[in-house]
Amino acid sequence: MEILENLRKEASERAIKLSKDKQEGTRIIEYVGNFVPEEMIYAAGAKPYMMCRGGEPEPPDAVLEDMLRFTNPLARSQCGFYKLGIDPVTPMADLIIASQHECHVARMAEYMELLNLPVHKVGVPCDWKRDFTHEYYYDQLVSMKEKLEEVTTNKVTDEAMFKYIHLYNEMYDLLRKISDLRKSENPPISGTDFIKLNHYTFFAEPEYVIEQLKFIYEELKDKEGNLGKDAPRILVLGHSVAVGDYIVANKIEELGAAIVYEMLEEGFRWYQWDIPIEKDPVRGMLRQRYLDKPPVNNLEPAWGERMEYVEQLIKDYDIDGVIWYQLLYDEIWDLEYSCVAKRLDELNVPFLRVETSYEYTREAMLPLNTRLESYISVLKTRKKGEIA
Amino acid sequence: MISTIYEEFLELVAIEGEERQKVLPEWIQACKAMGFSEEDVRYATHEWIPKNHHIEYLGLRKILGALTRECIDHTKLHEYKKNGVKLVYGVLPAQTTTYTAIKMAGKDKVFVSFPDFNMMNMAQCLFNKAGRFFELAEQGGMTYGARHCALNKMRVGIRLSGMVPTPDVDWAWGLVCDEATKIDEYITHMYDKDWKTVTTRIPHDVQIGESGYQDEYRVKFLATELRRSMEEVEEIIGFKVKDEHVADAFKQYESVLKMGGQLVNLSLMADPQPLCSSTLQMVAGHPKTFPMNTGFEYYNDGLRTLLDETKKAIADGVGILPKGSPKVGFYFIPWALPWVDRLFIENGVVPSISMTMIPAKRQLEPSMYTDPYEKSAEGWLKGIFTMGCHEEVKDWTEKIEQFKPDAFVAGFLDYDRWIGALHKNMARDVEKQTGVPSFYLEADFYDGRDYSMEALRTRIESICQIIRAKRLSA
Repeated sequence: MEILENLRKEASERAIKLSKDKQEGTRIIEYVGNFVPEEMIYAAGAKPYMMCRGGEPEPPDAVLEDMLRFTNPLARSQCGFYKLGIDPVTPMADLIIASQHECHVARMAEYMELLNLPVHKVGVPCDWKRDFTHEYYYDQLVSMKEKLEEVTTNKVTDEAMFKYIHLYNEMYDLLRKISDLRKSENPPISGTDFIKLNHYTFFAEPEYVIEQLKFIYEELKDKEGNLGKDAPRILVLGHSVAVGDYIVANKIEELGAAIVYEMLEEGFRWYQWDIPIEKDPVRGMLRQRYLDKPPVNNLEPAWGERMEYVEQLIKDYDIDGVIWYQLLYDEIWDLEYSCVAKRLDELNVPFLRVETSYEYTREAMLPLNTRLESYISVLKTRKKGEIA
Repeated sequence: MISTIYEEFLELVAIEGEERQKVLPEWIQACKAMGFSEEDVRYATHEWIPKNHHIEYLGLRKILGALTRECIDHTKLHEYKKNGVKLVYGVLPAQTTTYTAIKMAGKDKVFVSFPDFNMMNMAQCLFNKAGRFFELAEQGGMTYGARHCALNKMRVGIRLSGMVPTPDVDWAWGLVCDEATKIDEYITHMYDKDWKTVTTRIPHDVQIGESGYQDEYRVKFLATELRRSMEEVEEIIGFKVKDEHVADAFKQYESVLKMGGQLVNLSLMADPQPLCSSTLQMVAGHPKTFPMNTGFEYYNDGLRTLLDETKKAIADGVGILPKGSPKVGFYFIPWALPWVDRLFIENGVVPSISMTMIPAKRQLEPSMYTDPYEKSAEGWLKGIFTMGCHEEVKDWTEKIEQFKPDAFVAGFLDYDRWIGALHKNMARDVEKQTGVPSFYLEADFYDGRDYSMEALRTRIESICQIIRAKRLSA
């Protein structure tokens, strides 16, 4: 999509720009997981870089000498790119901050330590309904702030954090507006493009992102999309569509369906929820990620509230079908899949699971194409009213 | 006079005299409830158990008897529930003392159990017939290809089979993997909306160079988790667990542990080694692993007998292989698949120490805390399951240097995204530190279907050949 081109170019230049920043003395902080507040990294005068690259088969395999085969391919990829020497940022990172709320990422962080990479862990208790666990995550965020101060030698002031909180809230507001355009009968932006747009926002300065999002919104707000009003409307649920892993989303839309919303956990901004402005900015960062939004898959309890949210999305976005995008060997997601399948069956909403190992050869794609074709064909028929 | 195969089984597991006659109808009923046919009982009694377990020792047979009694008790769960007994379940890895304390406080008004582990003992370890329960779970939604934990499949399988009723509460400890506690949420959403859970968790966020148990903040956080969980459980079951119950539970635990520790040390230091690894893991490890609603009286009796028998065997020079045979250590011998042990023995190598069998030096240090929950939390954080891999390698190295096996085998936990995740790397690291050749076996701890005996035979044979060749060249 042409109107995304500026942001795409900027994102593709991010590693080069970080390299220059590094030469000028700016600290480069990589991070894994949405529980790590990017805005705090900026407030420390450092430059963040989100690790969520995937969609290629070799990186997950590159770590098998050391790691468990049944770790999901996204977690394995983060170390795999580095091991293969095709990760431009990690070798220059001054710190890698990893959110610790599930085992795949937790062991990946340890593996990075074994590779002598500078890792700092941010623990997120899964039993989030207990008040004292909020304090634990809060203390972990404070400890992250102290670590940033140590690495950057800059004081992370409340003022700087508030500055970035406001910027991020502005960014979220614009992303919401763009996403809301997809409620229309013929969405002006495809799901694949929205996912890419969301990714680009991680790899450019927030001020520039905001400027571009304003432009994109103005361009899109009165436009019609290419797929037409009859295209089945798809909700994608899953752990993550990694940066670079666009083949499946693309295929869905090539086959004539429109992805009109995504509920994803990693590598995707949780733009529906602003960071609350509290007296202590760290409290606001905590609330947005841990308390205000539906819980992530691995928190406990989670699936009841997540399902309620899905049901709301189905209504709000007039969803015809739901696709569950699952990473191979992601065992907790596999459990939730069965629960969601059961509920969607009760609601008579067609549901399809697509599992990825990041293997997209023609041989691997053929059965997937067939499944997607049949599924979307059923949705089209239903939409025409030929099946009750 | 033995009249049926059911009675023959009871004789094998040393349930004798009047008690046997009393237990027999209950055992027949229990077999039906567990889905074991007469032929299954015959196979276990005549083939599986004699081939894979040290039935030459009365002590071991008594311990199998204790596990059988526990299993029979479990098949009455529906009856207990109907009679108003509170059912408190738990899952691995939890501290058993907590549940024992609940039992001590509630006596006959409460049933404490880890039903999945209990059934793994019987259906897999003694009958080699757990596949039925795993398959039920897979058909019910735990997708085969996602590599779920077989113990968790067992939990779902026995619930789906109707053997296990809804508990009043399942206190689930999610201190290691994610799946153990998420299974409760899964059961609630899929099958049983009344399945109530209290969850205890802590993130895996120890920074490199730090030891979790030395971090007071972490100890206190986990202690709060434990205390709060206990309060929630108490509220559900309607009675309090006093400090004296916790203290008594600890006392009982320490006594069993002491005997188990003695048995392990005697056996591992003896040459020839009298007992194999899976037996040692089971007899010494089980009291640390799961609570017994029937109590530990029978178990302790078996342990005492086995200890005496082992001393005699050592004095007589009796062992599983001749004196001087090479030994192999494990991270954690899969006790529920005793044929793994047997394959090593058949290839002339003695299965010896598991890292989980003996405490590390730090675990023997006195606690820095007096509050029972803080003590408990500190104790937990001293164990190898929650610590990071850097600390854990030190633990493995310490134990390998102490017992000096000829080789070390990690693995068997390919489904566990926490415990098993970095074993390949850690095994190599241990080899570097100790010079002991280390291997990694991708295999399952509980489920014999995925990596069958035949599938592992060649790999184990090769490892044994390397170990023996190395011994010869030395």
